Amino acid sequence: MAAFLLRHVSRHCLRNHFSPQLCVRNWSLPMAMSICHRGTGIALSAGVSLFGMSALLLPGNFESYLELVKSLCLGPALIHTAKFALVFPLMYHTWNGIRHLMWDLGKGLKIPQLYQSGVVVLVLTVLSSLGLAAM
Amino acid sequence: MIAVLWRLSALCGAQGGRALLLRTSVVRPAHISAFLQDQPTPEWCGVQHIHLSPSHHSGSKAASLHCTSERVVSVLLLGLLPATYLNPCSAMDYSLAATLTLHGHWGLGQVKSAKAGLLGLSALTFAGLYYFNYHDVGICKAVAMLWKL
Repeated sequence: MAAFLLRHVSRHCLRNHFSPQLCVRNWSLPMAMSICHRGTGIALSAGVSLFGMSALLLPGNFESYLELVKSLCLGPALIHTAKFALVFPLMYHTWNGIRHLMWDLGKGLKIPQLYQSGVVVLVLTVLSSLGLAAM
Repeated sequence: MIAVLWRLSALCGAQGGRALLLRTSVVRPAHISAFLQDQPTPEWCGVQHIHLSPSHHSGSKAASLHCTSERVVSVLLLGLLPATYLNPCSAMDYSLAATLTLHGHWGLGQVKSAKAGLLGLSALTFAGLYYFNYHDVGICKAVAMLWKL
């Protein structure tokens, strides 16, 4: 079912693509998840680097910036959404990272297992992200 | 079939194996034998079963050590996440700063297009996190404060 949906998505691929991999005819779940693992990794690294450099370059301390955000009086729905958006890539990368480490141990490399573990990772990501965002 | 899986598991420890999963359009058992034609990359976390000439040995040993170290740091970081939640303290802050930066540095190193200025960026990131831990509230406390918003 997922493969069927992914195949339809690839039909609307842009002509001037920046990566030939994205315009491949038949996407598979393992391939898409592998790309997302890289994507979330890059995004998380960028976030950590931005945080580190802000600590060095921006004036004031952390608390003052938190006060600034508090003064914006953002609604709880927006705050929960922001927390979810922050924690989702982290959880995906963490759970898929565990899946990668299992592969390094030589476990779960059969093709059906690839798809099963992939679905498990996606479900765990959503559940753990919801859980952490609610804390 | 078992021999195929054994080779695949050995390959998947290497960088080539990672690229295999990315390059595959449809992952089907029939195609695995075609992939085994590829030369394995020097990075190899598992045991080397292929005879190498002496000139290759030192390079591949270093690559193998790098590969293993990457996994060790990943497991360390995995363990640090619940540990920092259960026991937030200064030592956790600095451990997290070091492990996070190293994992990110090696991870970005895998993305070939992200090589330029990577060492500088990682060094700056680590310096920033260290500064934050020393002069400001520290990573653990910062996350706790952020989440209380």
